[in-house]
Amino acid sequence: MTGPPAPSRATAAAHTDPASRATRAPHAPLAPRAWLVWSLAAVTVALVTDNPVYRGLVALVALNVLLTWLPPGRRVRPLAVAVLVAATLAALINLLAGHTGADVIARLPEWLPLVGGPLTLESLAFGGAIGLGLVAALFSVAPLSLVLEPHDVVDAMPASLERTGIAVATSLNLVSGFGRTFTEVRDAQRMRGWKPAGLRSWNEVLVPVILTAIEDSVRLAEAMEARAFGAGRRTSYAASSFGAREAVVVAAALAAATLFVGLRIAGVAMDWYPYPTISLPPIHPLLVLACLGLALPAFPLPTHRSAAPPGRSA
Amino acid sequence: MSASTGTRLARLEHVSYWYPNQDEPSLREVDLEIEPGLTLIAGDSGGGKSTLLRLFDGLVPQFHGGRVSGRAEVAGLDPFRTPIPQLAQRAGLVFQDVETQSVYGTVEREVAFGLENLGLPRAEMHDRVDEAMAALGIESLVGRRLETLSGGERQRVQLAAVLVLRPQLVALDEPTSQLDPEGAAALLAACLGLAAGGRAVVVAEHRLETLSPAADRRLTVEGGRVTLGAAELPGLSGVAPARPPAGDPVPAGEPAWELRDVVAGPAGRSREPVLHDLSLAGGRGEVVALLGPNGSGKTTLLRTLAGLLPPLAGTVRRPAGRTAYLPQNPGALLHLPTVRAEVALTLRRTGSGESPEPILAAFGLDLLADRYPRDLSSGERQRAALAATVAGSPTLVLLDEPTRGMDRAARRSLAAAVETLTAGGSAVVLATHDTELAAELADRTIELRGGLAVERARGAVADETPLSGGSR
Repeated sequence: MTGPPAPSRATAAAHTDPASRATRAPHAPLAPRAWLVWSLAAVTVALVTDNPVYRGLVALVALNVLLTWLPPGRRVRPLAVAVLVAATLAALINLLAGHTGADVIARLPEWLPLVGGPLTLESLAFGGAIGLGLVAALFSVAPLSLVLEPHDVVDAMPASLERTGIAVATSLNLVSGFGRTFTEVRDAQRMRGWKPAGLRSWNEVLVPVILTAIEDSVRLAEAMEARAFGAGRRTSYAASSFGAREAVVVAAALAAATLFVGLRIAGVAMDWYPYPTISLPPIHPLLVLACLGLALPAFPLPTHRSAAPPGRSA
Repeated sequence: MSASTGTRLARLEHVSYWYPNQDEPSLREVDLEIEPGLTLIAGDSGGGKSTLLRLFDGLVPQFHGGRVSGRAEVAGLDPFRTPIPQLAQRAGLVFQDVETQSVYGTVEREVAFGLENLGLPRAEMHDRVDEAMAALGIESLVGRRLETLSGGERQRVQLAAVLVLRPQLVALDEPTSQLDPEGAAALLAACLGLAAGGRAVVVAEHRLETLSPAADRRLTVEGGRVTLGAAELPGLSGVAPARPPAGDPVPAGEPAWELRDVVAGPAGRSREPVLHDLSLAGGRGEVVALLGPNGSGKTTLLRTLAGLLPPLAGTVRRPAGRTAYLPQNPGALLHLPTVRAEVALTLRRTGSGESPEPILAAFGLDLLADRYPRDLSSGERQRAALAATVAGSPTLVLLDEPTRGMDRAARRSLAAAVETLTAGGSAVVLATHDTELAAELADRTIELRGGLAVERARGAVADETPLSGGSR
């Protein structure tokens, strides 16, 4: 039994509750393909350099964009908590296991395996930069699942990957069923006298859950086939909403990624290596500007059409 | 079956069909004509109803494989050879399970999926989606996410998703088996509307009562054979022995279980409890039925009583001995090679020295005992799971929608099994949409609605006296 129905999100929200949309996400929806390009560009920037300044900028910009576009009923908190825990762990592990660098901040007894020895500021800083990269990359791809619908992701795929996109979208649909089946089967087996005792005992839960998931997939495949899936060239129900706003967002995102990759190939110093003695990371004004270009979707952009959800004339 | 009038939409001649690796055919020498209007298909689970419906849009044999003989024509096409996407524009199929037939997350996209596959221009898609949703009276669902819809709404969305392809024949395979009565009524009304509009609508259903008066023809599919006319629809009465007179609100036997001031629901600060300050009790040998729409808290109550969901507040008391619990979608728990092994596992686990045979016999599973449970039809699987669940002489038996997808025969064996259990002193609590089952079996009926529990005396419909359960 479920509680009250979850609030609608994204396009649904725009249709049923324009007010909430207006307060939470002030723009008409951005075309899925623009989101895909933006995410890929932001990830590229986050991973092409280990400079914590740029990574931090990308993380902040991406979080800002995410909060601007987050549909009502969607929460960023669980993702943020998970990402921060992962980043903190990365920094701690590097601090405890690094032992390199000039500035010793503490010392653990040498007899301790792995972590024994000097703990240095450099190891902590480098670990922090690794964690920051993780944060930036995850926040960059988060809109694909938190802002977009599975069908938006399908729409964003190039035509040659559309079938793959649908496979991904439908498998996402089955994920919730998978979790529910797991709970049901575990409960049912427990009531039949099953107790978790070692890895092997989980067979009684996992085998039926996997069998059920396979059956569900076959059923879904059958239902898709019965609705003409695989007939040939597909079209999309959603209007291609690629307009001036999308062009600006995509241009800025591509410029940012190209600049980073280009300057890196050209040999411009952008990386940061804190060993043996910690130093301030190099900052190139052009690259800072490129990072800020990724923030475009967080600002009100001129709207070139009504705020109707994609795919339906208002 | 009926005389050819020139308006027939489907014709089968001597059609037999074998699933892959099966020696016995699932359809035998079927001769059949389908005309516009409403055709009802009755028959026991596993008799071949689903297979017959899948034949109209080519899923049998093209998707499922296997061997077919005879001749068939559906809206002028040969369903054995015409590609399924082409057939889908002549014959559509709505499946039993609402969840495993949704592709997208939102209503219009889901409805439009088939049109996207056909590569139609966008403007035409919009017109067709609007038309199909209007035909089913679900225009108000535009923009909604599927997961926020009720079962009945979802099933009508799936029907619209088939209608957009403008098929002349629409088949529905037990479409109401997971719906509450309101949802089932809305879906069946939609079917009647389509049939009145000149389409051929073929519905396989266990709950034929609603549709029967409006049906243009009835078929029965049993043992793979199709016969004209409906099989007799015996009620449950005659199986369940006489009960105490109606209106007795006091637990019959000594107290067996009790919920006192229970608040229950998913854990977490932001979640609203589903049950609020609920107090209920039941006695040994007593059958309590929980009624109420989807989402009213029936499953939460059963899981709390089973000890699977710790209450957020209040106390739960269960009798000493084993508690049996049949979850929704019970077929999911089956994983052993035979039905007998499933029953034997429960008996062994619960320390019972009993033989599986009497339980298998009680559920009419003698002939299926050596079959692989997942190869059985949905109704047979349900019975197998039920047998595996209630084996081992439980003192408390909790059944969540036990008749979902069950045919009459299975329901009768369920009724008999419940009778045997209560005669042995077990307390039974069943959550169900099946008001007929509740009326026949239950000593007491509790209705859950919006957190309020209302006790209904047996047979009474309007006599609603609030229990101690509070509401918000």
